[in-house]
Amino acid sequence: MTLAVFFGCAFIAFGPAFALFIFTIAKDPLRVIILIAGAFFWLLSLLLSSLVWFIAVKASNAEDTSLQRGLLIFGVIFSVLLQEVFRYAYYRILRKANEGLAAISDDDSSTISVQQMAYVAGLGFGIMSGAFSMINILSDSLGPGTVGIFGDSQYYFITSAFMTLALTLLHTFWGVVFFEGCEKSRWWVIGVVVTLHLVVSCLSLLNPLYSGSLPPVYVIMVLMAIWAFFSAGGSLSSITQLCSRRMSDVNSS
Amino acid sequence: MNLERVPNEEKLSLCRKYYLGGFAFLPFLWLVNVVWFFKEAFVKPAYDEQPQIKTYVKRSALGLLFWIAVLTTWITIFQHLRGQWGEVSDYLSFTIPLGVE
Amino acid sequence: MGPGFAKWIITVAFCWLIQIASGNSVEQKIYVELNNTVPCVRLLNATHQMGCQSSISGNTGVLHMLETDSDLDIILRTGPHAPYMVLMDAGFFNSSIMLRMKNSTRIAGVAVVIPNSGPLEGFSPHNTCPNQHTGVYSDSYGPRLADCNGTIWNRLGNGLSFEDFKFPIFSLKDDNQTGVIRKCVSDHNMGVNGSTPAFPLCAMQLFSHMHAVTSTATCMRRNDIQNNYSLNPETVCDPLGDYNVWAPLRPINSTEKGHKANESVVVAATRLDGRTFFWDIATGAEGTVAGFVTLLAASQALKLTARQAPPPRNILFAFFQGEAFDYIGSSRMVYDMENNNFLIDLENVHSVLEIGQVGLRRGSELWLHTDPVSRRNDTSVNTEVEKLLKNMTSVAAALSLSLAEPNATQPLPPSSFQRFLRSRQIPGVVLADHQSAFNNRYYESVYDNAAYLNVTYPSDLTPEEQLVFVTDTAKALAEVATLVARSLYLQAGGEDSQLDNITADPNIVTQLLYGFLIQSNNSYFRSLTNPEDKSLLESQAPQYYVGVPITANTIKRSTRMVQYLLANYIGNPTSLNQSKCQDPSGMPGESKELYSYLWVRGANGSEPSPFCVRSTVRRTHAISPAFELKQYDSQTYSTWTESRWKLIRARIFLVASHELEMLTLGVGLAVLLLSLFVTYFVSTKADLIFAPAQESTGTAY
Repeated sequence: MTLAVFFGCAFIAFGPAFALFIFTIAKDPLRVIILIAGAFFWLLSLLLSSLVWFIAVKASNAEDTSLQRGLLIFGVIFSVLLQEVFRYAYYRILRKANEGLAAISDDDSSTISVQQMAYVAGLGFGIMSGAFSMINILSDSLGPGTVGIFGDSQYYFITSAFMTLALTLLHTFWGVVFFEGCEKSRWWVIGVVVTLHLVVSCLSLLNPLYSGSLPPVYVIMVLMAIWAFFSAGGSLSSITQLCSRRMSDVNSS
Repeated sequence: MNLERVPNEEKLSLCRKYYLGGFAFLPFLWLVNVVWFFKEAFVKPAYDEQPQIKTYVKRSALGLLFWIAVLTTWITIFQHLRGQWGEVSDYLSFTIPLGVE
Repeated sequence: MGPGFAKWIITVAFCWLIQIASGNSVEQKIYVELNNTVPCVRLLNATHQMGCQSSISGNTGVLHMLETDSDLDIILRTGPHAPYMVLMDAGFFNSSIMLRMKNSTRIAGVAVVIPNSGPLEGFSPHNTCPNQHTGVYSDSYGPRLADCNGTIWNRLGNGLSFEDFKFPIFSLKDDNQTGVIRKCVSDHNMGVNGSTPAFPLCAMQLFSHMHAVTSTATCMRRNDIQNNYSLNPETVCDPLGDYNVWAPLRPINSTEKGHKANESVVVAATRLDGRTFFWDIATGAEGTVAGFVTLLAASQALKLTARQAPPPRNILFAFFQGEAFDYIGSSRMVYDMENNNFLIDLENVHSVLEIGQVGLRRGSELWLHTDPVSRRNDTSVNTEVEKLLKNMTSVAAALSLSLAEPNATQPLPPSSFQRFLRSRQIPGVVLADHQSAFNNRYYESVYDNAAYLNVTYPSDLTPEEQLVFVTDTAKALAEVATLVARSLYLQAGGEDSQLDNITADPNIVTQLLYGFLIQSNNSYFRSLTNPEDKSLLESQAPQYYVGVPITANTIKRSTRMVQYLLANYIGNPTSLNQSKCQDPSGMPGESKELYSYLWVRGANGSEPSPFCVRSTVRRTHAISPAFELKQYDSQTYSTWTESRWKLIRARIFLVASHELEMLTLGVGLAVLLLSLFVTYFVSTKADLIFAPAQESTGTAY
């Protein structure tokens, strides 16, 4: 019966990413390549930060709980900064590659704009980080047991799934905003992205108060979504235009 | 192999080979024959060798059906009565499931 | 980037994967593993399978505490959460409740909390007539005595050990972990005022999937097929068995097997094993330990006198293994004797004195059981038996023990001696504390432990003080041991005048009882065993379930301990060094054909002074002849096998309600469909939304 939980959580955590992938990425090989390379860059950053973490834990005194707690906080911050460094590195590489791609491309339709690249790269980061935060939990959601024998919330699985969903989308939005900041050399934008990423990650230190960290993350997500919308070229007028068109469609028919 | 690029005589010879091969207790050859040559036999516009291909495909299909019937019956009987047969079914089994009669 | 760098990357990635795999904290949040559990496993004989098993992926059920009869009703009929995992105290673990559960489909499994002492009214999961079909009495030998027709030996036996349960049954000790389970149940599974409790509920999962089915004949056939035809053969069951320990008082040359001219041997026999409902727990205090401790003490008492005034006949001390399972050890020794595969043959056996259950005497009474059929049929046997009885009675008179004979038509109790009688009319006596039915109220059950035998100590003693504290049980058993030793000496033709020199030492008996019932890792046992044999001694009571050999060369701990002790008691220290002790050939006066040699730690103190003991003690295989003869459906020999399994495991956790699970799935589906719809819509209108005013088309097409 716990199969229901497994599929439910999998759909929540990866449903949006899946939808974005099949409707906006899958048809264009170039976007697929950028997505996978983005995922790979995120993996590299995780590899490095986990290496540092591994050494730090092995070298430290395992009995000292306050030290371990400190190390954990340090590990989170270090990992976030490293991810952002890799995001920047990926931006530089894509920038370089884009000129080359444009040169060899014989078909104009396969060229890709910086905003599009930003979106695809961000989604790549998001999918990979989502997969890593969710995969262990998903495998345990197959049961037969559920969380709670030590007094934890029984909504652990579903909150984790929603957290993963938010993280995946946040990475996408951060990607869009970050690349725009780089493009226009607005360093404060990059600063804001890094800060928000730090805030979101540090909220997980509130665990095991899972439901406590969920609302602030979603607030941040919505704000980021709006920002990313505008930085990707959206505007209020375009929405109203769209709505009015639909209205006129309805009226004319 | 793409059948489109093969001359008709060769199609016929191929179909015959598969048909005859099936008699060596190789029903999968008949399955391949049916699937592979179905279009040639029944969909394509008529050509000289088509009637013969048609016969081979039909007979292959018949043989295949026979095999399916025999195997399904045997598997059903064996799986149901394995436990009751005891010693005989142990000697008939290639792998004996653990903890099952 | 050379190959070195690539290698480094791979190593790092590998370490990192291991970290992820081992540190799965989610699993730790869900499950509490129960480590102190003992399962009931599947055993098979010629015709049946018995014991318990789970499905291959374990049985899971909501825990329900069985405390009253209304709980039983909830579990078996009315409760909404079937199948149930039943948590019960040992008081409910009886045949009527267990058989009702056996026939119900609402049971996922049972966990029994076993206390230290048993119910007052007694409890025995064995059957009423132990080893019913493999004793001597049958249609052709005393037909009226067959199948316990005359005497029901184990009146309290409810036969649970011989039932085939389709669900797992585990036993739990009454400790912290059981407390965790009880807390989980009372926190989650107790409805307020008797109402149905709300989810999440506390549940348990038990794994004990057994590989063998139907009978020994089936599983051994499958073993053979697998070994002959399969590429990776998988054994499904193993014959029960271990080793018999035996020692003639005077050395007999082991190079020639079979009949020995001029050799007449009195066999002093006892059993080395017991069993319970659960796997590998069998403390067998009264059923097993009292008997062999008595015989060990008797051998020690005899040693000096036997050397100074050797009796004309030889004495063979025999400790039979696997007797609880249709006389594996004794039937094997008799089989070997018949086939000239043993030092002596049955003709060399003058008589048999067997020690049965002797630890629970009522007052000073001991009973001498004899076989009415052979006494009636054969006058010479009867004369010898009479002589033996007279000897023993006279010895007992000097010891303030009163010996009595039960009714002359009563058969022998279940005993190894019956296996000798099956092959040859041999005079013999079985010494026991019961007249007809066993005094033992916990025959072959977990409660037959030190406390039941009254081997208890004042609470303020350290382990080493307990070791030498002489209990009343030890004194009583020392008396019996003296009786046995003197009777053996007389029976071997020794002089009456020497009898006063033969006395068993209560100090030794008490240390033996401590070692075999409380913990074997004590200074006394350490001093008598090889210090390099690290796995021999343990800080708990040894278990006497015969079991199956883990590898071809493994020998049960208790067997090896008895071997060491017997060697020390009847053997002599030598001056051989450690390497010569292993192979003393060529040394003057030493012979591997006559003796065996064991290296022991020595010195009953802190400083070891190891030396080599020369004795006549040997071990021979106690595997039923049925497996030698490949007669897996034998009616003559023991055919017991133990199934193999891959996993024995128990854990508790919470299960979520069906509604929450469906809610999760529903929300998941909603999120998926919504995002598919929204993405499709936005991607088709992307060129409108993300205006080209800003030079590019934005996130989507």
